[in-house]
Amino acid sequence: MIRARSETLRSEVVRKSVKPSPSIGGGSTSGQASHERPTRKVFDAVSEKRTFEAELHPALLTEEMVLEVDGFSLFYGAAQALWEISMGIPKGKVTALIGPSGCGKSTLLRSVNRMNDLIDTVRISGTMRLNGDAIYAPGVDVIELRKRIGMVFQKPNPFPMSIFENVIYSLRIDGERKKSVLEEVCEASLRGAGLWEEVKDRLHDSALRLSGGQQQRLCIARAIAAEPEVLLLDEPCSALDPIATGRIEDLIEELKGSYSILMVTHNMQQASRTSDYTAFMYLGRLVEYGPTEELFVQPRLSETEDYVTGRFG
Amino acid sequence: MVNARPRRVRTTRRSVKIAERIAQTLISIGGIGTIVAVSLIMVFLVWVVAPLVGGATTGPEARVSFPEQPGSLRAAESLESRERPLAGECVDAQVDEYRLLAWSVYTDGTFVVRRLDRGDELVRRALVPDGDPSGTSAIGAPSAIGVDVERGALGLGFADGSVRLGTVDFTAELLSGEGAARFEALAPGARETDGARVVERSEDGVLRAQTCRVAIGEPLDTGTTSAVVLIDQLETDAGRTLATWHADDSLALYRVVERENLMTGEITRKLESGRVSFARPDGFTPCRLLVSSGGSSTYLLSRDGRAARFDTRDPSAPALAELVDLLPETDAELTTARFLLGRTTLLVGDRRGGLGAYFVVKPDGATTRDGAHLVLAHELGREDEARGGSPAVVALATSQRTRLVAVAYADGAIHVFNVTSGKDLGELRVDGDIAALALAPKDDALIAFGAHGAHGAHGAHGASVWSFDPQHSEVTFAALFRPVWYEGYGGPEHVWQSSSGTDDFEPKLGLVPLVFGTLKATFYSLLFGVPIAILAALFSSEFLAPKVRVPIKSTVEIMAGLPSVVLGFLAAVIFAPFVQDVVPAVLASFATLPLALLAGAYAWQLLPQRLAVRLSDWRRFACIVAMLPVGVALAAWLGPHVESWLFAGDVKLWLSGERGSPFGGWMLLFTPLAALAVAISGSQFVTPWLRARSFGWGRAACARADLGRFAFNVLATFALAAALSGACAALGFDARGSFVDTFVQRNALVVGFVMGFAIIPIIYTIAEDALTSVPSHLRLASLAAGATPWQTAVHVILPTAASGLFSAVMVGLGRAVGETMIVLMATGNTPVMDWNMFSGFRTLSANIATELPEAVKNSTHYRTLFLAALLLFALTFAVNTAAEIVRQRFRRRAYQL
Repeated sequence: MIRARSETLRSEVVRKSVKPSPSIGGGSTSGQASHERPTRKVFDAVSEKRTFEAELHPALLTEEMVLEVDGFSLFYGAAQALWEISMGIPKGKVTALIGPSGCGKSTLLRSVNRMNDLIDTVRISGTMRLNGDAIYAPGVDVIELRKRIGMVFQKPNPFPMSIFENVIYSLRIDGERKKSVLEEVCEASLRGAGLWEEVKDRLHDSALRLSGGQQQRLCIARAIAAEPEVLLLDEPCSALDPIATGRIEDLIEELKGSYSILMVTHNMQQASRTSDYTAFMYLGRLVEYGPTEELFVQPRLSETEDYVTGRFG
Repeated sequence: MVNARPRRVRTTRRSVKIAERIAQTLISIGGIGTIVAVSLIMVFLVWVVAPLVGGATTGPEARVSFPEQPGSLRAAESLESRERPLAGECVDAQVDEYRLLAWSVYTDGTFVVRRLDRGDELVRRALVPDGDPSGTSAIGAPSAIGVDVERGALGLGFADGSVRLGTVDFTAELLSGEGAARFEALAPGARETDGARVVERSEDGVLRAQTCRVAIGEPLDTGTTSAVVLIDQLETDAGRTLATWHADDSLALYRVVERENLMTGEITRKLESGRVSFARPDGFTPCRLLVSSGGSSTYLLSRDGRAARFDTRDPSAPALAELVDLLPETDAELTTARFLLGRTTLLVGDRRGGLGAYFVVKPDGATTRDGAHLVLAHELGREDEARGGSPAVVALATSQRTRLVAVAYADGAIHVFNVTSGKDLGELRVDGDIAALALAPKDDALIAFGAHGAHGAHGAHGASVWSFDPQHSEVTFAALFRPVWYEGYGGPEHVWQSSSGTDDFEPKLGLVPLVFGTLKATFYSLLFGVPIAILAALFSSEFLAPKVRVPIKSTVEIMAGLPSVVLGFLAAVIFAPFVQDVVPAVLASFATLPLALLAGAYAWQLLPQRLAVRLSDWRRFACIVAMLPVGVALAAWLGPHVESWLFAGDVKLWLSGERGSPFGGWMLLFTPLAALAVAISGSQFVTPWLRARSFGWGRAACARADLGRFAFNVLATFALAAALSGACAALGFDARGSFVDTFVQRNALVVGFVMGFAIIPIIYTIAEDALTSVPSHLRLASLAAGATPWQTAVHVILPTAASGLFSAVMVGLGRAVGETMIVLMATGNTPVMDWNMFSGFRTLSANIATELPEAVKNSTHYRTLFLAALLLFALTFAVNTAAEIVRQRFRRRAYQL
């Protein structure tokens, strides 16, 4: 279902400026001169309260996109948190969102499965499409939409029930009753999350008895049990110790290919280790987006370089 | 230029320290004070209740020897033809309420008044003097003597068939002026004999003179010359009823009506009489004749333990009602018999030491003339009676104010029992035989009169006196919590009836009906309150926007401040009469309201998707606010129809069991159960099938299928309920008599509803807190997994908050248990025990509120009410503690998440 780009969910949203979306491959200003490193343009945009045209690497052109974000803005009441973000998330790849605290990367992530709807004052404009279906459009059933998207939160949040029930939660609420199906999905998901060997003998114990890292992997198992079209990871390791973090990162590595993953992290090493693509955001604007290696080794913008080398943020 | 500022020294100011100390002290005092106050309440309750468990207290024995035996007694022994009373020479005796005097009547018609403390004889006379001037033959020694100690009435029967009636009473006068001058020197507590009276200066200095007077009336002609063998009379305000057993085996009944001529002051007595012959069976040796309360029955007791009960409701036509063997053992022998206070319970003592309490009950299908049967209700015995070695009962004395009986045994032991509770108040012992017993009018002394020569100092005739306090003999654990067979009841029952209009009333202190009432009130109010409160909490915590939630929560909390007297008033004066008017509609609304709401929800799905999404904000409003009146209107319309279909046109008459078949009542009970069964089986079988079929259907088709499923479920529910009801009705079971029964205006349904409202705020508040304190990341995880808010609530929020919800219910339960005003005003306060939702009840708290103001301080009643309070305290304490423990556990669990 393709809808007009200007169509918004709520009529009261007034778009501040209607402008063509930046084409992938970078704008005319920065495409040819990666060595000049134009500086401070983002800071200018911030101080002038306007949008910023992101620096997009041409490598993205070759990818098939599972999720397309187009001119997406988000307001918390009067405050604008996202400024016309336009980007695509490649299918079967891991994409990391990095940026200093408050840059809107989690907000963007939560916009994908419309978790921001739960907040009263949020208004949005722009579009997002999941495999071509508009996410924000009148008549979209949010519940059905969320069934297509998996999400793992910052803090491990298993339900206070057994490991088995946790994993098959999405099937339960869909009314699946066949025990054979449930058991099969449970095992496959736990194996997928690398947790099967550890918990196969105590599937009916409370999930709360697992360690933090195990709980987070359980949450990943729960998310992939639903076979989502895109998997959202919201700083999945921030509440874990280094060893558990390492295991989660290995897991993300293994999931690559079978799942399209969009991951928020404030840990640049993690982004560089696990992701295929990295997007750098700053104060609600997408600054630069490209293959992880290019972004970390040869960033086109000086702000990006400053951030990835630890000079600010 | 840099100022070398000295380093600032940080100290806590003195005033701050003082304030700190004061605050600490005040807070400690407050905290400890609260704990102490609650503990003191507990201690006070226990302190008031504790005497209930204690036994009677008895003072030391005071022995009085009577200096001289009545001389005429020896002559009396030569009258061999006479039936001699069973237990010695003294027929009966009594003392006055100040325990100064004692009178005794002897078998030969001698009447003696003695000073109780020393035994001096003050008066000795023959009741009927020899050579009576009236010229009739009713002179000399009577052949039968009947004494009513309670009322001070005497009846004398003579060998020539005539009777005389008399009275004996004590009079006390306070001496003052000239009369008192002679006793100036009397110290407080000291006594002095003055002719036929005894003068005592009481502890507070008042001089009191006590006299005993006996008066015997003129002989009454009974129309027979056959000798009177046994006599008993009953004095009531209307006159006397007199029964005599004559030597020719006939029972004669007389009602003496006394009329006083207002002009002359002359009293005329009129006799209404009747007569019946009784063919004595073999071995039937009449030894006692007793007329029961109101003269309705007359008992003729035989020495072998048989009793002939005559129906004497009409004294002019007495007739034998039944012949009962009171002592079925072959070798049993009746030794003494007497009425308990109120002349309804017959106490019979036998040779083997047994004492039975009998009274008439009116069972269904009784075969006797008056529809009553004499039954053995209590067996009172000494501890050693079980071993079979107990000596014979020789004398009985009953209390004039309570249901105490003092029993003397042949071995000199005296026991005092409370007949209702069966409590044995302990044993006293004398050496030698006991001829008669007396309980002082205030139950404060026990006097045992010895038989000739056998008892008293130096082998002389005498008496033993004990000061005595029965304490709370009515109360035993069994009397409070077990069924007790009360006078006139068909069998042992739980009854609470603490007081009545008459003095000879038997207090019924069964606490079980009150505990039951408390539980019933709690049950019905939780039935209403819990679902509403929990669902409301779920709705506001999971579905309402926070902006709306906060004011709604505070509003509901303000509801908790609504005085329960206002709720009670509304319930009793407005709601109860309203419900009474529209009972069928109220019953119908239990079905129509949920149906209307659900139908609204299903109908909503039929809306086109675009419209539905656009109007999604109005969804709940439309489903609830709009469909509610629809449900009410439906109920109002359906009410009369339901009444005519199920309840034969009048639900109240139907409930009383006066008309209609049991079918309607079963429908009432089975419909909710059937709805539950259909809902569960529907979700087990129909829904998966429908889900499989509906794959690929459009939204509208799904909605229509859903609505169809709902309609099918409704029909299935009613069909199932009707089938079950029909089966039950066909099998002859009737729901009436259990949860549905006779309709009373102030009933459990009304109380449940209104008290439900009283407990909703507190349950709602705590449940809401429990639900909102479920960590939001769980909620988000569930929603992100594609669950609907309702699925999230049911699968994640409710199980996580379960202990918090439990604690909320428990706190609500605690409130319902202790609630007083609503139940006091809206229940009718009848302590009945049935689960009928249309009848009233009485709760512990309402009972305390009603009865404590009229209970005499430190009486058994008063202390029993405090026991009820203690029970209530324990109940609420236990409930609240359980709630708190669960809540603590819940809090720990919540921290883990």
